[in-house]
Amino acid sequence: MRLSVNGADVFAATGGKEFDPNLPTVVFLHGSGLDHRGWALQTRWFAYHGYSVLAPDLPGHSLSGGEPCASIEVSAAWLSEFLDAADVKAAHIVGHSQGFLTALEFAKNNPDRVLSLTAIGTAAAIPVNQALIDTAKDSAAKAAHMMVNWGFGPGAHNGASAVPGMQPIAIGRAIMSRNPLAVDLQACADYQGGSDAVQALGNIPGCCILADQDKMTPIKAGLKLAEAMGVSPTIIKGFGHMLPIEAPRETLNALRAFISSVQNQAAA
Amino acid sequence: MSNSSFYKPSTIALHTGYSPESDYGSRAVPIYQTTSFAFDDVSDAQSLFNVERGGHIYSRISNPTVAVLEQRLAALEGGSGAICTASGMSALYSTFTTLCSAGDHIVSSAQIYGSTATLLRHTLPRFDIQTDFIPINDAKALEAAIKPNTKLVFCESISNPGMEVSNLPEIARIANAKGIPVVVDATFSTPALCRPIEHGANIVVHSVTKWIGGHGTAIGGAIIDGGNFDWGNGRFPEMTEPFAPYHGMRFWEEFGPNCFAMKVRSEAMRDLGPAMAPQNAFLILQGVETLNLRMQKHVENTVALRDWLLEQDAVTWVNHPELESNASADVAKSLFPNGAGSMLCFGVTGGRAGGTAFVNAVQLSSHLANVGDSRTLVIHPGSTTHSRLDKDALEAAGISEDLIRVSVGLEDIKDIIGDFSKGLKAAARATS
Repeated sequence: MRLSVNGADVFAATGGKEFDPNLPTVVFLHGSGLDHRGWALQTRWFAYHGYSVLAPDLPGHSLSGGEPCASIEVSAAWLSEFLDAADVKAAHIVGHSQGFLTALEFAKNNPDRVLSLTAIGTAAAIPVNQALIDTAKDSAAKAAHMMVNWGFGPGAHNGASAVPGMQPIAIGRAIMSRNPLAVDLQACADYQGGSDAVQALGNIPGCCILADQDKMTPIKAGLKLAEAMGVSPTIIKGFGHMLPIEAPRETLNALRAFISSVQNQAAA
Repeated sequence: MSNSSFYKPSTIALHTGYSPESDYGSRAVPIYQTTSFAFDDVSDAQSLFNVERGGHIYSRISNPTVAVLEQRLAALEGGSGAICTASGMSALYSTFTTLCSAGDHIVSSAQIYGSTATLLRHTLPRFDIQTDFIPINDAKALEAAIKPNTKLVFCESISNPGMEVSNLPEIARIANAKGIPVVVDATFSTPALCRPIEHGANIVVHSVTKWIGGHGTAIGGAIIDGGNFDWGNGRFPEMTEPFAPYHGMRFWEEFGPNCFAMKVRSEAMRDLGPAMAPQNAFLILQGVETLNLRMQKHVENTVALRDWLLEQDAVTWVNHPELESNASADVAKSLFPNGAGSMLCFGVTGGRAGGTAFVNAVQLSSHLANVGDSRTLVIHPGSTTHSRLDKDALEAAGISEDLIRVSVGLEDIKDIIGDFSKGLKAAARATS
């Protein structure tokens, strides 16, 4: 669906069903240079199993207008405006990579609006090599090529695909090449507030889904995040950083289990 | 598999899309000779039908053996996805009808395969899809031919049998600027010699029956989505508007760079049913494994035969993309640094009679209506593959009465030349 957020036209995927703010809402936040399509094989399940789904393209990405958010703090503020526009008071927030940094900062500032917080393929801080940022400034396509090389695990490099006949690496590269990757990477590199934000999460239920072959946010950093969040991580073996795309079923299973349990506890 | 990064084409051809960890460790790709796939439970079935997860339901739509070939071809071409079909013609039909509805228009190169020309000239007009044929490397003609209802520009990487190389970067520049995708039949080149997507093409189609399969054992086709076209530009409601059979799914929103392939899978494969048989996918995979090696040898033999033919008194002319006499020689050098395929055409003294005598006299070379076999093949297109075209269409397609088309095989070049010597002697006798 399309929403107006801060005067900009924003697209959010709703998982193939009309959005209903009265249902428990799950918000999916994509990583650097990506868009809602990375969540295609998670959003549809939630939308057809009792939830409402919002997977926005962040401003300036793919189908959304507006200027890309120059910092994690700005994107967290934007998320608040976005939820207001969708008439969502509180939601389960799921973030992949940079998307989790946004979710984390948002949760710190708006704990009452977060029903649960899920970190996928990420860490409390995502340092980015300056050479990669400079490459992205020069050519998003070149940087995207490097990103998918490191970002996808060995299976995807061998052409494995959860959807018959498709090439996840090529799809990821095509999406990233057209989006403001340099701005996203700079925002990740600049964000220093992650550790403090984790400490401020309080009683928000948390979940960490990590990949043992992650080269972008190595699992060591992900495990530290899980420890700081006080959660036992789900480690998906044999896959890389792009878990929602590379291992959609495993990622969905972990998400389903966590979010369902939070919903059940809330109902009890 | 190791953690190595992007594999090179020869490695992709052997490995991509399949790892032996599954299926009892079978090193070769197993043949899933089954019509359908059992669901875990009702919820699992529901998830598959609702595209909540990927997987196989029914082999008309997708099949694991076929999917390996699809993923391998997509990787070799640098595309976002691929769909394999029962034949090259069904790949073209599926592509055209995925993009065009009644009232729509196609711009096509005039120099194309006879059956493709028939599809565009006679079959699609029955469904009110019209085609204008142009000299595809004429930029002004291309610009002028594109209409508000044009849905695609079609050409062959190397035309059959005119041997014209399409100037893909220029064609893509003009078409894409007008919001039109470029569809390239790259059967004659294969990804071993040219990757059209790297030169701006948006969809690549193959008859994998030919060099990709390479052994003349199985019919098949492939459609590769380049993942590089903006289907949301307003010209393609088929991609952006709700698709009723899938609960109103909007393909561009949902799948982005692989929305064309997903649309072919969801509509053409389901409704038309041109599925590739798993056994054929297996046979073609055997060919793919050695594609790069075979194409090197094909090219080597072709160049040697071409140069020999140029010196023969009974040969009146030779056409090969790299020859200066070919109008697209410069384009060929730019797009085909490793050789411009293994097809060549030539004329013999005595016109039609000489050509007939040549074809009847050769023994090692097979006289048949195929190309891209491991064996050398010859044919007289005017009386066979392009016989349905009238005189004007034949001329536009660059086919003269004396034209002999050769698909140069992998035999020892000395034996091929020996066989052609017999043919040329027969042609000379026929005219004396």
